[in-house]
Amino acid sequence: MTALAHSAARAPRAQKPRAATPTRQRTKANAVPKLRYIAVLLAGIFGILGGQLLLSIAVSGGAYEIASLKTDLRGSQQEQQIVGEEISALVAPDTLATLAGSMGMVPDNNPAYIRVSDGAIVGEALPAEASTSGQVFAVTAGTESLVPPRIVEDVFLTISAAAALEADVVDALAPPSDEPEFAEGSMAVVSAVSVPETPTPRFGGSIPSPVTR
Amino acid sequence: MSHQRVSRRRMGIALLVVFLMAGLLVTRLVDVQVVRAAELKEQSADIRTTSEVIWASRGSIVDSFGNELATDVDRYDVSADPRKVGEFRRDGEVITVPAAMAEIALITDANPDELLYAVNRDREAHFTFLVKSVSPEDRQALRDLRNPWLQMDLVRERTYPFGAVTANLTGMLGTDEPLAGVERKYDSCLQAINGTATYQKGADGIRLPGTTQLVEPPIHGGDVRLTIDSDLQWYVLQTLAEHGSNLGAQYGSAMVVRVDDGHVLAAVDWPTFDPNDFSEAPIEFLGARSLSSPYEPGSIMKSVGIAMLIDAGYTYSEDRIVAPGFYEVYPGQYIKNFLVADNRQLTTAGVLQTSSNTGISVLADRMPKAEATRYLRDFGFGEITGIDFLGESSGQVLPVDRVDALTRYNQFFGQGISVTAAQMASSYQTLANDGVRVPLRLVDGCMTSEGEYVPEPVGEPVQVVSASAAQQTVRMMETVVTQGGLRNTLEIPGYRVAAKTGTAEIATSDGYGDDRVISLAGMAPAEDPEYVVLVSFYKPQASRVSSAAAPAFHEILSHVLKHYRVAPSSEPAVLPPLTW
Repeated sequence: MTALAHSAARAPRAQKPRAATPTRQRTKANAVPKLRYIAVLLAGIFGILGGQLLLSIAVSGGAYEIASLKTDLRGSQQEQQIVGEEISALVAPDTLATLAGSMGMVPDNNPAYIRVSDGAIVGEALPAEASTSGQVFAVTAGTESLVPPRIVEDVFLTISAAAALEADVVDALAPPSDEPEFAEGSMAVVSAVSVPETPTPRFGGSIPSPVTR
Repeated sequence: MSHQRVSRRRMGIALLVVFLMAGLLVTRLVDVQVVRAAELKEQSADIRTTSEVIWASRGSIVDSFGNELATDVDRYDVSADPRKVGEFRRDGEVITVPAAMAEIALITDANPDELLYAVNRDREAHFTFLVKSVSPEDRQALRDLRNPWLQMDLVRERTYPFGAVTANLTGMLGTDEPLAGVERKYDSCLQAINGTATYQKGADGIRLPGTTQLVEPPIHGGDVRLTIDSDLQWYVLQTLAEHGSNLGAQYGSAMVVRVDDGHVLAAVDWPTFDPNDFSEAPIEFLGARSLSSPYEPGSIMKSVGIAMLIDAGYTYSEDRIVAPGFYEVYPGQYIKNFLVADNRQLTTAGVLQTSSNTGISVLADRMPKAEATRYLRDFGFGEITGIDFLGESSGQVLPVDRVDALTRYNQFFGQGISVTAAQMASSYQTLANDGVRVPLRLVDGCMTSEGEYVPEPVGEPVQVVSASAAQQTVRMMETVVTQGGLRNTLEIPGYRVAAKTGTAEIATSDGYGDDRVISLAGMAPAEDPEYVVLVSFYKPQASRVSSAAAPAFHEILSHVLKHYRVAPSSEPAVLPPLTW
């Protein structure tokens, strides 16, 4: 191999000695930049590939994150819906009436009003009768389910329990009947509030009422 | 030398192999990429691509306070593939099929035997429903079972949170389409159109980034807002149910109308139905009779008749007439009073207060029948009200040439004319509103999903009778409350109330029978009426006189005054004399 190379290298030099020298010189001078060029090129290619890989990993990672966030969102929406349905069941007039009845509330059809502009009492205040308290009538032709939703029953139980507890507390705190109900200080405050020197109209002097569209 | 030849041959073979393989690959490449490219691409997309429904929700029906009366909720249908149903392990514990079914049944209140049967009926089937329409709460509990063969699919379901309260108005949704009421009439506002999207997913079920394509965007429905106050509606329905069942009535209707704008605050029909489950409900109670069933109203029409007579100048409150015991229309045909009486010296107010049929016939005789018909039409009888409800009846006002000698008088006390409860309430709104009829309104408008509020068109008010005629009539109606036999039932302490009773005979195929429609219509506070209330019971059995409707009317009107914080009356009533 060496002999062969030598003879091959030598032969052109013998034939074209002038041309040989600059060729060899150029090869030697260019070898280093060429290598560097290739290295940079390769590094660039691998860099780009690597970068692309990282980007694609990031994108698919994002896809997983989106998927998990979407699940979370769906979960929250479900929770919102569950709670919303519970609220609807609780604000239904049937429920409110039953719950109010269970707390001993009765409808009063003879209310009296205090006119805010001059403090006068209008209407005749009559005590409410407990004739229809708490009773909710079936309104459909025999197809109605009178079983309240679970949440309503839960709240019903909570209210009954709270009412029982409150009754106990009220009994325990009730002052003996022969003692004055208010301490002197609080009496003074009450009378000061109940006899204002000049009636101050609030709410534009009218009785606040719900407004329907 | 031979060594070199061998290596060259080897090189040749290697090259050949390489070229052959390359050739094969190129052939395959060309086959895949060019020849069968389209087909393969389609196949691969089919495998990876999933299309999903993007649910759009149907709009809600809300009352005037925004309470939802009808709304869409998420529900889940639980199903399984019977071929895959088998025991599974959870936390090292083996769950058998019956045990798994028992768990499911416990959460969903189902029958475990039925669940087992659903699966065992056909083990080769690919699909069977286990439980339909499970709540999101229960679905979460089911998911926590970590049962591998349990499938749950989202469905949208219509619910009516207040149940039967506004069922007559909202109507209901069938499996495919809205069936009645506002649901059907306002379907164009409420309607939702589901969208679809496609995406590709990997083997792990995660969607591939950048592959989601919205094929059809979902279009959510708008919300229909009613003028109804559902709290009041509930109270009125309860009152009708209580008194209606005590009376043994076949059905009852009631309306509460706000005088100044004609808004219907409550329109109630009893019995009604539960729109959440109406499969067993009798078909005759599935609608809104107050709007769709006309009836002969009876004496509550007298207020309207007297307002017409005053407006046309034929009489006035203190006008003196003699109401005979019998009024002879033509020989052999008499109009008589509810309580047979001798001749009575009544004023026009007295005619209304005693509900004298003969008295009003004397007055009606003064008005030509064409003029009476024109007035009745002006009051809105014979045409549907501004509510324009689905299936609303226009009632019937006979054309002038068909008004016979008897009907001419009968019309003034509400026979020979058929009206709906809504029309009757509308005529009382006219009397309460100084003679100006404001078309009734039940649907206020539509809030589109883009947030734009489209109000329903407002009908033109009509001056039917003069303000003076209307006010005089209201004064006369006050005497029914203050001086009539129903005084103790009708009076509301602190308020001036104007009302009129009515007991109408129900026409059958052979004349008028024993059955009655009893009604009460009125308004308060009488000095400047704000609310009109109408109550009717059809075919009451316990009592067939209008006084039986008075307690229900009284309860509803008292509640309305309290509910809307109407200030008690301050002016004393100056009422006309009843006799002379």
